[in-house]
Amino acid sequence: MGGSHGRRLKRWLPELSLAIALVILPFGFDTWLGSVDLFTRILIWGIFGLGFDLLFGRTGLLSFGQGAFYGTGGFVTAYLVTSGRMDNVWLALAAGVAAAALFSVFVGLLALRRVGIYFAMITLAFGELSYFLENSPLSQWTGGENGLPGVPAPSIRIGGFDYSFAGSWPSYQLVAGFYFLGFVFARFVVLSPVGSVLTAIQQNPQRTAALGHDVGAYKLTVFVLAAVFAGCGGALLGIFQSYMPPDAFGLDTSGQLVIQTVIGGAGTLIGPAVGAAIWLTLRDLLQQVPAIGDLWKFILGLVFVLLVTFMPNGVVGKIILVWFRFGRRPQAAIGTERPRDVTAREALLAPLLMGIAPNLPARLALDVRDISKAYGGIQAVDGVSLALPEGRLHAIIGPNGAGKSTFLRLLACEETPDSGEILLHGIDVAAADVTAAYQYGLAKSYQINQLFPQLTMRQNLRIGALGRHRGRLRLDIFRPADGFAKVEHIVAALLEELGLTECADLVVSTLPYGEKRRLELGLALASQPSVLLLDEPLAGLSPVEREGVKQLIRNLRKGRTIILVEHDMDAVFELAERITVLHEGRKLAEGTPNEISGDPLVKQAYLGGMTVP
Amino acid sequence: MSMIEIERINTYYGDSHVLFDISMVVHECEVVALLGRNGAGKSTTLKTLAGVLHPRSGTIRFEGQSIELLPSHKIAGLGLQLVPEERRIFGGLTVEENLDLAALSAPAPLPLADIFAIFPRLRERRGSYGRSLSGGEQQMLTIARALIRRPRLILLDEPFEGLAVIIVQNLLEVCRQLVAQGQTIVIVEQNVRAALGLASRAYVLNNGHVVFEGTTEALQASPDVMNRYLGV
Amino acid sequence: MPTLPQFLSQAFNGIALGSLLALIASGLSIILGTLGVLNFAHGAMFMLGAYTAFVVLGHWDSFAIALALGALVLVLVGFATERGLIRFYYSRPKEDQILVTFGLGIMMVEAVRYVFGSLSQPVPLPSWGQGIVNLGFFIYPLYRVEVIGIVAVLLFTFYLLLYRTRIGLVVRAGIEDPLMVELLGTHVRRVFMVVFTIGAMAAGIAGVIYAPLAAVIPNMGEPFLVQCFVVVVIGGLGSFPGAVVGGIVVGEILSLTTLFDPAYSQAAIYAVMALVLIVRPRGLFGTMGRA
Repeated sequence: MGGSHGRRLKRWLPELSLAIALVILPFGFDTWLGSVDLFTRILIWGIFGLGFDLLFGRTGLLSFGQGAFYGTGGFVTAYLVTSGRMDNVWLALAAGVAAAALFSVFVGLLALRRVGIYFAMITLAFGELSYFLENSPLSQWTGGENGLPGVPAPSIRIGGFDYSFAGSWPSYQLVAGFYFLGFVFARFVVLSPVGSVLTAIQQNPQRTAALGHDVGAYKLTVFVLAAVFAGCGGALLGIFQSYMPPDAFGLDTSGQLVIQTVIGGAGTLIGPAVGAAIWLTLRDLLQQVPAIGDLWKFILGLVFVLLVTFMPNGVVGKIILVWFRFGRRPQAAIGTERPRDVTAREALLAPLLMGIAPNLPARLALDVRDISKAYGGIQAVDGVSLALPEGRLHAIIGPNGAGKSTFLRLLACEETPDSGEILLHGIDVAAADVTAAYQYGLAKSYQINQLFPQLTMRQNLRIGALGRHRGRLRLDIFRPADGFAKVEHIVAALLEELGLTECADLVVSTLPYGEKRRLELGLALASQPSVLLLDEPLAGLSPVEREGVKQLIRNLRKGRTIILVEHDMDAVFELAERITVLHEGRKLAEGTPNEISGDPLVKQAYLGGMTVP
Repeated sequence: MSMIEIERINTYYGDSHVLFDISMVVHECEVVALLGRNGAGKSTTLKTLAGVLHPRSGTIRFEGQSIELLPSHKIAGLGLQLVPEERRIFGGLTVEENLDLAALSAPAPLPLADIFAIFPRLRERRGSYGRSLSGGEQQMLTIARALIRRPRLILLDEPFEGLAVIIVQNLLEVCRQLVAQGQTIVIVEQNVRAALGLASRAYVLNNGHVVFEGTTEALQASPDVMNRYLGV
Repeated sequence: MPTLPQFLSQAFNGIALGSLLALIASGLSIILGTLGVLNFAHGAMFMLGAYTAFVVLGHWDSFAIALALGALVLVLVGFATERGLIRFYYSRPKEDQILVTFGLGIMMVEAVRYVFGSLSQPVPLPSWGQGIVNLGFFIYPLYRVEVIGIVAVLLFTFYLLLYRTRIGLVVRAGIEDPLMVELLGTHVRRVFMVVFTIGAMAAGIAGVIYAPLAAVIPNMGEPFLVQCFVVVVIGGLGSFPGAVVGGIVVGEILSLTTLFDPAYSQAAIYAVMALVLIVRPRGLFGTMGRA
């Protein structure tokens, strides 16, 4: 570890290498191929791909319609300058990008309602729609099948200095400049909290939402960002070729983008450019081989299929994997001084009552009034009420089918009750969603682990803590993900409290179940909730691990209200102050552990009576 | 003659260890109850037997044959039939189609008439879609689907859950008739009274371990066991 | 203002086109519902059917042979694709499945382009399909009426297959709950393999029927693929009735809007798709889940 200088170099190494490559490589192209134009073309695809890589590689949204925005940016720019409506090419470029972004908001609001396969189909349909619109109804502006010729290049005029970007080398300089800036920007995004949230969305969107992040808003943001890059690429294409082609909108273009990204390596940012280099070079090469000739695209398709099957990480991805297998020591993040002082640690882990008006007349942390929920004729929860003062540890038990899980889901705002109110520190959250609930200070730990398997322990907890400190949506792109000192301290304190400091920087999927279960608890704690819902926290743990978690629960009680659902009756009776028994959706009994264990009604519910007919 | 022998199986959900060295025996024509609270591992044990889950270690011998590694359709083909907890009726198929599907791969299925003799209500509803059946009717159908295959061993996973008392009585009567005909059954139930009414032997599970095995009488004579592991 | 004959003519076109779309989309939807695979090569399979018709009708004047061989070619292609490629992808993420079928589609199109070239290949109307027929209010091409008839028969056969056969029973149950089907003793995977083949065959037969109606070029399947997606979104994933109704709806929209402004007919179907997405995201007949 080389201290702050070493860290700074590491942070900027990719940008530096890219800058060097962009200065040196074009000479290679010029020498061996006679012109730098191929490289310019590769970089235009690269710009298009930077945005797509954020969308697909980082967030996991496979869109087959990015051509819609590529074409929009290109044609709006081209139209503005060729029709004489705008003289300044830079402004026209900006307008093109803005138009692409606007169009993407509209498409995104519709397409992002679905995920996976549906999303792919819908984006493809919109891509085709825009192709069709360009070709027919709007052809008087777009030139229809002929496209728009005569697109001029921008120039810089400052004082007496006059430089036009027309011509082979100047075009390259223009495109390379944009690519470099785009790369720097994309890197900021990836390394920012926004980038962390996007990665979290790819791995576990439901948990990301439950940790306080507005998943829909983040998805729309990255969708628009991808469109911005696409629009920029399209505009530059028109400028570079002095001609804007109609097939920019087509499925061929959108498909080629996907193929190149996969070949190069999704999630690596330069993957799309590398993939474009491979695709375009092979295309030119194969076409010149007499035996192959027109079969070049078939062979490229075959190469693609083979790559997807055997090397799904792509060329760059594979290189990165190999690089990392040959030793990369886990890096400690900034701000990992452990709070050794117990009171300091407690202060950090104390419930965060931020955002809730302190003078609300609510002595009850959670006031559940008569909530009910039915599913298709079956009344799962029937008029259950619960009043919890602050600091209470309350258990909910009941036989199978009693309605415990449904009740807990209603409290966690995963579903809305049909009737009744849920007041959290006096605020009615019955109709709130999980994201809002987290922001209000309510968190749930799940029965089945809901983690981010490809991230480290520390990164997992950070996603949880960032949610409460940054709010539902914050586009703090220029901040590093570990740039909130407060957040880092909380994460360190949690790791310490959970006994996970040794494996803090190990990837979660490689760790054993006990550690994962504790992380699950940690994610719920990361927002410093004032009300904590624990759904079978002891599930699947060994007796020793159970003791550890029970102790942890006792430690967590300070100032916090906890609701515990558990089947381990010994644990329930050890930990709970009061117990509510549910039966067939209704509250059967409520009282201290002693009262409950002596209650004949409860016995009856559990055993169905002691004697057999 | 033992029909099924389970020896020290350990089952995991992902890397969560849920069954710890479970051993059990069921003899022909026996009814064995598998009891315990939620999360004790009862359903997991049945799912392991049926091939939905596979144990990481241990063996299961069904009529002399090792089945712990077989896929679920093969195990069903050998005559081990699971009646799952959530009933899992095909909502888009009619009652009759549900039964036809169950009979498809059975070498000598029970005739529909016999099924309807056991469950007259199903004859009335034979053309109705699965999704329109009541809870009790669905439970009848899911048991009927098992019976039509003439299984050697039936695993009943919480058959009485969420049903009205009168329907539970009805189903209990059907079960008693099956027992009288020599059907081997393993029943998982939280309604301890109902389960012990049918079974001759019982195993009690707690946190994935077997904590009691013995006859029904022995269990009923141990109120401390009943309270500790089955009650509150 | 369109006249009645024009309107009726276009309405019939809508049914002809719509029923073809329904056939292709049924195949796509069933594959999607059972295997969970979105077959991006489906349009290419449709194209292969059309080219088979071209080859066959160049040698024999028998539409029946063209249909039979078209079906056979696609059965082989479907079987080879599923066994040789798709089955390795069942446990991989959905995106990978999309990518590999997309690549496969490209390979099929390019292979055909290499063999047959990019120019449109003429496929003659069958002798019993030539000429026009007087339908009372208006005159209409005979072949198109026959197309409606043939496809209706094929869709009905599809229906019989799904709702009256043992395999159909397993498929319908398997779409809902494959695990339960396994618990009832039937090996579901093997049946699903057949589903892929049948789906491919449906696309291929549609291609044979369509071949005399329009230009037979290597990427003729592309617009159909996109329209199929719109049909599936409108009708609902994995639903046969959804594919049929969705197909007819899309076909009618495309045809009828041509009466008013041909330039906007394509846009109209996307508008309807957008509407469905807003109002009823799972489609007309779709079930929840399988997002």
